[in-house]
Amino acid sequence: MNRTKPFTLALVGNPNAGKSSVFNQLTGLRQKVGNFPGVTVDKKIGISALSDGTEITIIDLPGTYSLYPNSQDERIVLNILSNPSDKDYPDAIIYVADLTNLERHLLLFTQLKDLNIPLILCIGMIDIAAEQNVFIDRETLAESLNVTVISVNGRTGEGIKALKEEVMRLKNLPPPPQYKMFFQPNQIELKTAEQIRLYLPKVENIYQAILWAHHFERLPFLSTFEKVTVKQVVETHKFEDLRLQIVETLQRFDRLQPVLRHIFLKPVNDKISLTDRIDRVVTHAVAGPIIFFAVLFLIFQSIFALATFPQDGIEQLFLSTNDALKATLPQSLFTDLLTDGILAGLSGVLVFIPQIAILFFLISLLEEVGYMARTVYIFDRVMQKVGLNGRSIVSLVSGGACAIPAIMSTRTISNWKERLITILVTPLISCSARLPVYALLVGFVVPNENWYIFNKQGLVFTGLYLLSIVSALAAAFVFKKILKTTESTFLAIELPEYRLPHWRNVGYTVYEKVKSFVLEAGKIIMIVSIVLWFLASFSPIKNIEQTLETEATTIATAKNWTEQEKSDHLAARKLENSYAGYLGKAIEPVIAPLGFDWKIGIALISSFAAREVFVGTMATIYSIGSAGEDDTMGIRAHMKEEKRLDGKPLYSMATALSLLIFYVFALQCMSTLAVVKRETKTWKWPIVQFLFMGAMAYIGSWIVFNLFN
Amino acid sequence: MEWQTVSHLETLSKVKVGTSGTIRQFTNDQMASKMLSMGILPGKILKLVRRAPFGGGLYIKVGDNNIAVRDIEAQNILIEIL
Repeated sequence: MNRTKPFTLALVGNPNAGKSSVFNQLTGLRQKVGNFPGVTVDKKIGISALSDGTEITIIDLPGTYSLYPNSQDERIVLNILSNPSDKDYPDAIIYVADLTNLERHLLLFTQLKDLNIPLILCIGMIDIAAEQNVFIDRETLAESLNVTVISVNGRTGEGIKALKEEVMRLKNLPPPPQYKMFFQPNQIELKTAEQIRLYLPKVENIYQAILWAHHFERLPFLSTFEKVTVKQVVETHKFEDLRLQIVETLQRFDRLQPVLRHIFLKPVNDKISLTDRIDRVVTHAVAGPIIFFAVLFLIFQSIFALATFPQDGIEQLFLSTNDALKATLPQSLFTDLLTDGILAGLSGVLVFIPQIAILFFLISLLEEVGYMARTVYIFDRVMQKVGLNGRSIVSLVSGGACAIPAIMSTRTISNWKERLITILVTPLISCSARLPVYALLVGFVVPNENWYIFNKQGLVFTGLYLLSIVSALAAAFVFKKILKTTESTFLAIELPEYRLPHWRNVGYTVYEKVKSFVLEAGKIIMIVSIVLWFLASFSPIKNIEQTLETEATTIATAKNWTEQEKSDHLAARKLENSYAGYLGKAIEPVIAPLGFDWKIGIALISSFAAREVFVGTMATIYSIGSAGEDDTMGIRAHMKEEKRLDGKPLYSMATALSLLIFYVFALQCMSTLAVVKRETKTWKWPIVQFLFMGAMAYIGSWIVFNLFN
Repeated sequence: MEWQTVSHLETLSKVKVGTSGTIRQFTNDQMASKMLSMGILPGKILKLVRRAPFGGGLYIKVGDNNIAVRDIEAQNILIEIL
């Protein structure tokens, strides 16, 4: 065993065993989230100090039921634990088991035992177990399984100290001798394992060899030589993968049952439990979906309502800082970069924090309580039809507030293909940033009057939202057909008992999500913001500033303008002559078929910082920058006066509708792209997403413009 | 192990809500492997508690554990009705 690296401890256990509570108790805030090489599964690593002053590394491995994995994160556990050369291979394992379900939880425990990794059995949920009068004879259990047993209360931290002492004791022990295996392999398994070990002496024990025989095709760390060798041995001995898995699992349970029979007392409970009573309503065929949508409505409302105040606060703070800096610092390029580039970018990052924090507070609360598993059960079928997962519905609805936290919330979907499709289509759901754009443009499509009892503009709004939902589901369906996966999809999900949330766990989740957003997506947002500032502030023409200044002065004198009118005009002319202006003109031939001119082109480009910037850019282009972005009426009045070369109004119904459709579909949000890059660990998917949504936008707008023009 | 087909067994996906039975067999090895590791074991008592709307999943109770399975997964579980 490699002793040069710090002592590494892995936390292993079934899903819902209470692993994260133990992890949080052991490490406190000294944890970080990385990822396992090559996959998108989160790797939580923390540091814990022992009483002798040494620090150990703790890895929280994904929850799994056995070493026969069915999903990507379950596979991680197998890949690490069947490979003693892995850099994350633990020196010892804390196995977290739930006392109320001990038999099932101990299956994986006996598998780890056979891998001969030093183990501590940590029995959690003793608070709940006590309530249910579940009793266990700890000493006898420890003796029969040959392991130290420690009970821990994840809520209060009771038992954590004893756990740490035991870790310290294990740390100073020499590597353990080979224990007698819990599982008794049959002749085929034994012969296969022995021959594998003969050819590949690095395989440390029989059970590791058996695991290699089962999984060699999918173990990423095996060399071609090792794979071929194992394959030959497996074929020689007619080693039947699935059948042997089943026999092994059954035998382990058979051997566990007599051990537990005498030391584990669980009262026969004929009473209908609280969980059953809650589920009668919550998972009811009719009431279930209604409750779910009510919960979602509340989440959605909270994001809108509660996030508004801190968001406005953050924006106000940046505005006043901006003004203060502009007033105190000398007017220079550096000041501009600082205020319009860096501060604007920073504000663009921080403004999302309230939404992310609130959404994850609520989602992790629902997860902790045990509600999330029920939503998966209720909606699995519907979501399956379009290639999504029951859990996708939470992300899709959250996308109605903001795609950023919605995409981050897809983490709970364990099937990679289903998660990827959810990530790809979530930004199609109209988010809150599109609202100001819709509000500005809808007036050009229909007047603000009633059609029977309905407000016409309200109907158009509803139509836009419906369009966004339908297109998201349709796109998901198309991706379902295109994307290939070898991962079989299972539902088979445990519906855990309802319980009060561990607030500590909720707090850590919120903290971790906000931190990872600021640190990782934030960087990209800053860079794009500075690039956009550069494009809008610099001109390819030399000395353009003076030329424009002189021009503005001349016109202002001739037309008797106020200072304000002059500076508005100047700002518009500067933007027109900037790189962004030239880009707008360059793309005009491309966007002309959609009814857009170069001015709209500039707005489309600058919208990339955030969609609502469209309104501000329009204000600048139409020289009413000083009137402020809130002056929708003012901007609209100017837009109405815009004429095409042939004298027809530019913002006809066709153009406005075409522009609306463009905003429904196009992925004009650098923050979304940055988050997708972070969540998928590659630029491939954000690029694919940008292109397919762009294509939908272009084609949709073209059709609409040509229909109505 | 050979999964024999026994005539008095019922497929879980076809029984009525509220039915209880003893788990006897699985008809698909891959599903069986997953089910077993979740504690859905031959010999245990299983109850079909309810079905999700829109022809969706099945809410089952095995011992004290509540588990949701898809219809296609339930097609592989054979029970002997009590």
